Amino acid sequence: MLRWVVPALCVIALAALPLTGNDVLVQYGIDALLFATLAQAWNILGGFTGYVSFGNSSFYGLGTYGTAIAMAQLHWPFGVGLALGAFLAVACAVLFGIPILRLRGHYFAIATLGLSATLAAIIANLNISGKNIGLILPLTRADNAFYEEALILLIAATATVAWIAKSRFGTALLAIREDEDAALVMGINTTRYKIAALALSAFFTSIAGGIHAYWITFVDPAGSFDLTLNVRMIIMAMFGGPGTVYGPLIGAFTLSAVYDVLASSISTAAALLFGIVIVLAVIFMPRGLWDLARGFRQDGVRYFLQNIRANRL
Amino acid sequence: MSAVPLLQAKELTKHFHGLLAINSVSFDLQQGEMLGLIGPNGAGKTTLISLISGTLPADGGSLFFEGNPIDRLPPYARAHLGIGRTFQVTKPFPRLTVLENVAVGSLFGLNGGVHDLKEARAQARKLLEFTGLAHRADQQGDQLGGPDRKRLELAKALALRPKLLLLDEVMAGLNPSEIDEVVAIVKKIRDGGTSILVIEHVMRAIRSLSDRIIVLHHGEMLAQGEPNAILADPRVIDAYLGKRRA
Amino acid sequence: MLLAQILLNGVLLGGLYGLMALGMALVWGVLNIVNLAHGAFVMLGGYCVYFIFTGLGIDPFAALPFAFLAIFVLGYLLQRYVLNLIVRSAQLNTLLITFGLDVVLTYLAQLAFTADFRTINPSYAGANVTLFGLTLPLLRFAAFVAALLFAALLWVILQRTRLGRAIRATAQNLTAARLYGVDPAQLYALTFGLGVGLAGAAGGLYGMVAQVTPYIGATLTAKSFVITIIGGLENPFGIVLGGIVIGIIEALASIYIGATFTDAISFGLLLIILIVRPMRGLRTA
Repeated sequence: MLRWVVPALCVIALAALPLTGNDVLVQYGIDALLFATLAQAWNILGGFTGYVSFGNSSFYGLGTYGTAIAMAQLHWPFGVGLALGAFLAVACAVLFGIPILRLRGHYFAIATLGLSATLAAIIANLNISGKNIGLILPLTRADNAFYEEALILLIAATATVAWIAKSRFGTALLAIREDEDAALVMGINTTRYKIAALALSAFFTSIAGGIHAYWITFVDPAGSFDLTLNVRMIIMAMFGGPGTVYGPLIGAFTLSAVYDVLASSISTAAALLFGIVIVLAVIFMPRGLWDLARGFRQDGVRYFLQNIRANRL
Repeated sequence: MSAVPLLQAKELTKHFHGLLAINSVSFDLQQGEMLGLIGPNGAGKTTLISLISGTLPADGGSLFFEGNPIDRLPPYARAHLGIGRTFQVTKPFPRLTVLENVAVGSLFGLNGGVHDLKEARAQARKLLEFTGLAHRADQQGDQLGGPDRKRLELAKALALRPKLLLLDEVMAGLNPSEIDEVVAIVKKIRDGGTSILVIEHVMRAIRSLSDRIIVLHHGEMLAQGEPNAILADPRVIDAYLGKRRA
Repeated sequence: MLLAQILLNGVLLGGLYGLMALGMALVWGVLNIVNLAHGAFVMLGGYCVYFIFTGLGIDPFAALPFAFLAIFVLGYLLQRYVLNLIVRSAQLNTLLITFGLDVVLTYLAQLAFTADFRTINPSYAGANVTLFGLTLPLLRFAAFVAALLFAALLWVILQRTRLGRAIRATAQNLTAARLYGVDPAQLYALTFGLGVGLAGAAGGLYGMVAQVTPYIGATLTAKSFVITIIGGLENPFGIVLGGIVIGIIEALASIYIGATFTDAISFGLLLIILIVRPMRGLRTA
């Protein structure tokens, strides 16, 4: 019972944020919530199976374009647009996953690198997607609605991850991460589980994309299929704690704040610092903030040394 | 015992980059039998196990389990049919607990395993007691020492509720009293109805564990037959170059 | 333009790409590190040669060995004191740390060298020779030859020196190599240094045929990936060939289809190869 108190309080606090009337805060909040969803969605495959997807920006892009095409070209409502985006993304995940998820670890990662570029090139050449110019979506209601929608999406994604963590499905994913050969002989159809995880990941990612598209009322190939978006969601998930329920959220919220603060100052120094932080984080806290909190409480500074000792040559 | 052998291997062949690792190996394993598989290092014993478990695809020949061909089945499908194996170099799931390690087998084993996590954990707990690991249930898989790792390998394979258990050198690195313990456990497993294929170098264990023995040398079947005859066979002794371990 | 001319241009560029990818393949094959910062080392090598050429007036080809050495030392130190710390960590962590390194190197370069475009323009840059009706730009041809020479040098090192034997042994089995007296920390650092040194040399050549900015790294890393997969980790000739294939594809694509699709085509090819011809140990089920 007590486990629910803190998360519930957080949800209430977050939901109440728009009441402050501070527009900048709400806008920052929408961004942070959407990024948290992206990190959480990425976590489903990346954190639980250890398979790094650089293709989530593709699912995001399909989500933005599904919504944009539905609303701007076909004049369908927002909900239908989101559904179209999700359908495209999940279909893409499954079609791509079937041949590619048979590959191991970093080959999968590299294969996904190409997906965004390929999709962007295709979209940039179709009329219905507005070619290179992109599409403009109908202007709409206040930010508060987007904020609450983003919050609901994040809650749904987190609840899904919480379910995964305690389910038979999740056990299969973890076994794949820990030792795929052993998982195979123990009866796990690894390819099927990986595809399912990728599809779930694609689903939430695409809805986040759809919400974002309607919010900024504009999509174009470069912005929708931007690989740096994917890198950011990976870093957020990894920094916070891959394979955990709350890790990606913590990573997303802290790094969003850091990113914005740094970006408003000197941008080169900011990027440089970001890079150094990543390098140091991988060395000293490879399991993310969530594990750092637990480990530091247990072992203090020795936690960092333990990590190095476990991972060094 | 039923007429159809539990496992039939017919002219199994496997190459690695032109090196013939398994050359036209044929044998049967009957229901309820304990078959010993011996041979010098590099003979291809682990490769043969990998062909049966599906970890490696065969390049020629065929495999039948309970009379049905299984050549095209991936490893997980063979686990569902009831083939379980241990790995010679143990492969625990490093960051799962010992209990969770074994529970994976219960969840995904024979006929697709159980779907209820509680039930799987209960089964796992029983297996931990059976293999003497109950006191380590909450430790992480990568924290176990050598002999306990071997026990964990065994418990994981048992969790699949296999009809055929493939044991790959489960006694390696154990001291004599530990060996006797494992021999007793394996005998109990067989008494429970599981058929077993055992790879071993520890001769005293092989003697007491095998109804029949097959001998592999340079990837080929050198001899098969009754333990005492095989272990006294001069060809077998030659293959080991006179190095016999009691 | 004559098809043959396009192909020739592609081949010349491709030799360079092949050298670049060789460095990545070496590090990947021996250390199992997929180096997302690979392109950054190419970029730094380009700047090295540029500054030696414009600052000291030394011919760019003569500057190549120095660039190689400088980047080698940088790579050695990075591997020895930074990357060796995470080598046994999950795959993802090596991807992330090299990504972080890429960010650091790129932005340090931006701070040090500004975002201006730099080209290495020796006096003979415009010289051409006509061969069988085709124009052979001398500079590009020399760069192509230099790339092949460096590749041959790598081959010689790997096949004929003690260091090369140690590297190959480590690639196959680190534990066994250790038993033979190989000091892993040293060897890893030397191998990484060698790999990125080659990248740096390729960068120097790249600067002669294209422009160097702090940001060229990302695309070049991606290109090196594709070539490495096409060529396969085991075979250096395959990689040089893969580089030439990509060079030809780029040349054809830029004339017939236009630049937008060049990336997509390379990656499309990558996907096809990964699906159709998976490498050893690649498949799961």
